[in-house]
Amino acid sequence: MNAFRAILAMFSILAVCGVLLGAFAAQLQGDMPCPLCILQRMAMLLCVAGPSWLLARSWRREVDANDYAQCYGASIIAALAGATMSGRQTLIHIAPGDPGYGEPMLGMHLYSWAFVVFATVILVSGLHMLVLPRRAERLPFAGASRAVVGIAVAIAALNLVAVFLEEGFHAVLPDNPTEYRLLDDLGLRSEEAPPASSETPAP
Amino acid sequence: MDTLIFLLIVLTFVAMWRGKHRAAGVLFVLALVAMLLLFRHHATDTLPISL
Repeated sequence: MNAFRAILAMFSILAVCGVLLGAFAAQLQGDMPCPLCILQRMAMLLCVAGPSWLLARSWRREVDANDYAQCYGASIIAALAGATMSGRQTLIHIAPGDPGYGEPMLGMHLYSWAFVVFATVILVSGLHMLVLPRRAERLPFAGASRAVVGIAVAIAALNLVAVFLEEGFHAVLPDNPTEYRLLDDLGLRSEEAPPASSETPAP
Repeated sequence: MDTLIFLLIVLTFVAMWRGKHRAAGVLFVLALVAMLLLFRHHATDTLPISL
């Protein structure tokens, strides 16, 4: 059963990391993330932090039900915050005729997918708490879990670089970002920035 | 602000990796609170709502 719990923790991390990579791929294709999209990425990374924390604890000692509850509880709190953000963005664009923000992916906009992800994180964390161990146990697959947590750290670092490029030295992101402002802040782009398109709705 | 929150998140993961679990917990809470404050800023900035 401890192998099942370890695999479930690694699967939870990889699933959310896959969604984050999909969002990153959309950004590389020119779909600039809005401030609410960035907030949802933060919440997803904090959701990933829960099972990552559990695996990191298991590298050094046995983990018990208290460790599971703390780590998955943290994930649920982050997922509730993220669901609030994605739910709000969905409600902004829910009126008939509203084209939404950005291009849809697999039939739904990214913020709608984000809501599905946060609901799934809450569901899986709840399911995980139904199968808590009765006594402390050592989780197997330490090498694989290090690799999985390493992927999560790499994606977090990648998002840090991307958002620094987008935000530059400004306090917050603009409502409708169209360019990487750090390039302008450092004087690396000489031509004038194109005006914000009036056809693209604000987030 | 966004960059700083991502920095907090990365530091949370680094603290977890190095076994500094109390520091990781503090960083996690800081990142969560900062994220919610930023959400409040954007929520009232882009479309004022009242509950």
